[in-house]
Amino acid sequence: MYAASFQNNSKGLNFPMEHTKNKRMSLQQKQRLTGWIFLLPGVLLILTLSFYPALRALMTSFKTGVGVKMTWCGIDNYLRIFQDKVFLQSIKNCFFYLIIQVPVMLILGLILASLLNNPKLRFKGLYRTAIFLPCATSLVAYAIIFRSLFATDGFINSMLMNLGILENGYNFLSHSFSAKIVIIIALIWRWTGYNMVFYLAGLQNIEYSIYEAAKIDGANLIDIFFKITVPLLKPTILLTVIMSTNGTLQLFDESVNLTNGGPANASITMSHYIFNKAFQGVPNFGYTSAMSFVILIMVAVLALLQMKVGDKRD
Amino acid sequence: MKKKILAMALSAVMACSLAACGSGGSTETAGAKDSKETQAAAEGNELTVWAWDKAFNIYAMEEAEKIYAKDHADFKLNIVEVSWNDLQTQLSTILSSGDYSQLPDILLMQDFAYQKYIITYEDLFTDLTNSGIDFSQFSGGKVKASVVDNKNYGIPFDSGTEIAAYRTDILEQAGYTVDDLTDIDWDRFIEIGEDVLAKTGYSLFSSQAGSSDIIMQMVQSAGGSIWNEDGTPNFIGNETLEAAMKTYEKLFTTGVMATGNSWDEYIATFTSGKTLGAINGCWIMASIESADDQAGLWKITNMPSLPGVAGATNYSNQGGSSWGITTNCKNTELAVDFFNKTFAGSTELYDTILPSSGALSSWIPAGESSVYAEPQEFYGGEAVFEKITEFASKTPGFNTGVYYTEANDALAVAVTNVCSGSDIETELKTAEETVTFNMGQ
Repeated sequence: MYAASFQNNSKGLNFPMEHTKNKRMSLQQKQRLTGWIFLLPGVLLILTLSFYPALRALMTSFKTGVGVKMTWCGIDNYLRIFQDKVFLQSIKNCFFYLIIQVPVMLILGLILASLLNNPKLRFKGLYRTAIFLPCATSLVAYAIIFRSLFATDGFINSMLMNLGILENGYNFLSHSFSAKIVIIIALIWRWTGYNMVFYLAGLQNIEYSIYEAAKIDGANLIDIFFKITVPLLKPTILLTVIMSTNGTLQLFDESVNLTNGGPANASITMSHYIFNKAFQGVPNFGYTSAMSFVILIMVAVLALLQMKVGDKRD
Repeated sequence: MKKKILAMALSAVMACSLAACGSGGSTETAGAKDSKETQAAAEGNELTVWAWDKAFNIYAMEEAEKIYAKDHADFKLNIVEVSWNDLQTQLSTILSSGDYSQLPDILLMQDFAYQKYIITYEDLFTDLTNSGIDFSQFSGGKVKASVVDNKNYGIPFDSGTEIAAYRTDILEQAGYTVDDLTDIDWDRFIEIGEDVLAKTGYSLFSSQAGSSDIIMQMVQSAGGSIWNEDGTPNFIGNETLEAAMKTYEKLFTTGVMATGNSWDEYIATFTSGKTLGAINGCWIMASIESADDQAGLWKITNMPSLPGVAGATNYSNQGGSSWGITTNCKNTELAVDFFNKTFAGSTELYDTILPSSGALSSWIPAGESSVYAEPQEFYGGEAVFEKITEFASKTPGFNTGVYYTEANDALAVAVTNVCSGSDIETELKTAEETVTFNMGQ
């Protein structure tokens, strides 16, 4: 909307500019200037706090060395990444999370949203709040709570033992597959409600009469969901897919606090590995910057693909 | 009406929070003014210190400040609590930015990271070799941690002499005493452990999963090393390391050693009754003592030795830290004098901090103090500090190297895989490759 009104302004601007050749600014020029002045602080902050450091990081990624003793090395850091077994493992882990968690979460969010969109349902506000609430919790706190829930003598194990499903406590976090599944469960718990809110907002824009018409024509619930809800929500779904992909590839807190990357790096994420290399061991900021840019490239490429596939405007 | 009440309530809340902000702000500025004034009055007689444990090293610093302030009335320390993880992140950020003015005057550094920081950031620590501090009065192995190229960069503080602590009451149920667990090797330890586990359901000790600290402790106890002379990793064909890995695997598969997934789970294993013992650096005593109801039931002895390894002993070390003076120090002379009169020259200081915080000194003259011979009620009335000092004198030296964290991580991965059925030789090979890769540019 903002951009659109600016365009209108600039189109209309040519005409009065030619007319009033005196030094005073025209009304529209003044308005445009006011707009830019309002934008300026934000733009300056983004430039200095986000773009400038990113540029410096890009330069650092072409240097190598320990601590502050850095020398230029060309693209060596980027080539080195392909020999780093742990980083390759962390890429695999992230894509494992991405492929399993994102579809499950989004489908679940979509189902919950269409259930809660039913106008006849009572206590809607309560349900919506309850499902949205997890994403208001602190990342660290919820990760630690999940860690203790899935501990060998934690809540989940005692429940399974009392139900007679398990005989002894199962150490979820010390087996590579179950550790990853615990992270996925934690992610689903925290982010489903967040995505559901986007879908709910999207559903508000769908005219209810469309549903009524469909029902009169004899469509069942599944038909309605796949042939009306999903197609009409496409832009929202695209948005959530891109956001979730971006978030999953940059996953950090869960890996650090829930599993600490373990067992044997089986659940470590890319950001966690980069943090370890930059701040835990002997720092090589050149190499870690290069790894960060690899994540950036992955996120950008995936987002582009998703937009190409998902955004087929008529 | 309802809306009005709501509006009033909300504005009241806002007013309160604003007032809180205001008062907070004003106290802050008052605080700043205060410290500025004292600074001006003291003309640089205030030193800033970074340390991380309120009950331990910060407490020790505060006591040292009191002792030094007796003769130097205007002396003041500004001790900032910075957790070890934050300290590393902050140091890296400050040092990479090149703006050293943000550094404190004095900072505490883990011994295993000292070499890394001296070598990575040459101008972080002040060279103290000829500063007047007598380093020969500290135990040799301990000083080594902060020495590079025969130059001293740190003042040793606490040591992490390895102890094994056991619950005597549960051992008794299985028909053993602590003497049965003293001066033995790991093979005998596992025999006893299996018996105790079968009879009582308790494991003998625990370790934290995903960490190879206990492996390092075993290697050190046998006088081994994980590095070659030239600094490259020495994992493949390292008999001491292989023996340690084998022992770990046996301990794990027999259940004699329990594991905790995180640090708090690890502590809980012996405070809340899953294991009847703990084997770690002597600073673990603070955690053992946190279970008040178990007072008098614990006893301390030495750790088991590695079987079949030449030079194996029952003594090792885990952790410990040293104080460093940064190059940003406003008044290096004052800082050196402060250390000379406290951590490197005051039995009074060590007499105060030892019984209340268990800060075992590596300053040799402090060992002659009578406090060490005092019986400790928690450990059945035994003079444990005397015992631990004796252990310390028998501990073999150990080179942590610059890439200690990388080696520790790689070995942790190796030992986790070994425990889930992988072969020791292959895993050590992978671990060595990982460390070599990390050391490359």
